[in-house]
Amino acid sequence: MKDLITQRKNPFSHKAILKDVSLQLHEGECLGILGRNGSGKSTLLRTMAGIIKPHIGQVKVNASIAPILAIGAGLELELTGYENISLLLSLYGHSRTPEDIERIQAFSELSDTVLRMPVKTYSAGMTARLAFSISLANDCDILIIDEVLAVGDQGFQKKCMHKIFEIKNFGKSIIFVSHFPDEVLKICNTAVLLEDGKIVRKGTAEEICKLYQNLF
Amino acid sequence: MQTITKLYALSKRNVILRYKNSIIGFFWGFIKPLLYLLIFIVVFSSQFSSTKNYVLYATSGLIGWFFFSNVTAQSIAAIVNSAGLIKSVKLPVILFPFSELMSELFNFLLTIFVFLIVMYWFGITYSIQLFALIPAALLFAAFSLGVILCLSALNVFFRDIGILWNTLLPALFYLTPIAYPEKLIPEKFKLVITINPIYQFIRCFRTILYESSLPAREIWVQCGVLSGASLIVGLLVFNRLKNQFISTI
Repeated sequence: MKDLITQRKNPFSHKAILKDVSLQLHEGECLGILGRNGSGKSTLLRTMAGIIKPHIGQVKVNASIAPILAIGAGLELELTGYENISLLLSLYGHSRTPEDIERIQAFSELSDTVLRMPVKTYSAGMTARLAFSISLANDCDILIIDEVLAVGDQGFQKKCMHKIFEIKNFGKSIIFVSHFPDEVLKICNTAVLLEDGKIVRKGTAEEICKLYQNLF
Repeated sequence: MQTITKLYALSKRNVILRYKNSIIGFFWGFIKPLLYLLIFIVVFSSQFSSTKNYVLYATSGLIGWFFFSNVTAQSIAAIVNSAGLIKSVKLPVILFPFSELMSELFNFLLTIFVFLIVMYWFGITYSIQLFALIPAALLFAAFSLGVILCLSALNVFFRDIGILWNTLLPALFYLTPIAYPEKLIPEKFKLVITINPIYQFIRCFRTILYESSLPAREIWVQCGVLSGASLIVGLLVFNRLKNQFISTI
């Protein structure tokens, strides 16, 4: 359950990114967020995850939220894959047993040699694999996914979709940002369309996806 | 408890990152002051031959100075450099500059340990007084924390702060009697050292290491007041600005 009314202002630039945003996410609901680049999707995600405090309004969360899944989110480029796994798990407040690390390695399908190399030497796909695998190690009620599926190869994309469905069937909530309406249709029940930091329309995933496609 | 684990993870990251691709790694921590010492000995020791045991005098000042200059120089970019983490993981932002202090304290601990051995040849007197280094270091750390909270927060909005600070540090170094005896300062410029907060802490270290006596109560009070004031200002500035970090970095 989530209630969100947020309005954010930066006193240094006096630019409000989100205005009059109000939405609710129920348990087990999968919400898609669509919108042009720069329409405030990431800011909305960060606000919901509690990383940004809204300047006006409030966010109420009665569940645990997994850290935001975005391409390379929070990965330290100079550190090796293993060092990153260990660092991020500690920062998420997650345990770091050898089994945890093994599970992450198994899901990412990255070899031991690769994980011993600094992340800066990884390709975009490998980075996404690592980031996605670490974030999925969390056992949280709400999963936030920010355009990650576009980078991995087909095999990994399928695997991620599979995992997402598994999480969904488990009765957990998902907030999903994507530029591919097809993916949103597959995963989400409801969706919102953001434009210039405002929610233009709330509705079923089909309705919003059609609206989004008509934008271009 | 969770916060301590997170702080530890970040501090560990700082230590690994700092000496990544460096051959002698954390040994730089004491090689740097040692190199400075060598320069001092070559350049100054004949000049200041009136100072009793000049090498120990200079060392006692250098140790404290390097802690301060390292920790401030390292921490200025603490928030800017961790933009990725700050934007994607829900964490108290203050952990980032604080972890820089912790990793530098770790470095300082190793450095002072090595120096306590090396200073045997410089003629240090080993006595129970040396334990006073612990509260002295903690006070200095608290003072430095206040400074780095201000610097790292302001540097998010004005990158000039980082450049300016790195330019000011050498000036501050020469304004503080580290390489030269304090007697050298003419009476009319005495004000420079009375208002220099770094000097108060250096004097505290020097009393313990060089004069091998306990600092007077007046020195402790001064250091305590400075640390408290610096912490309060640092926390105020940091808390005032922390909500605007994400939209700027």
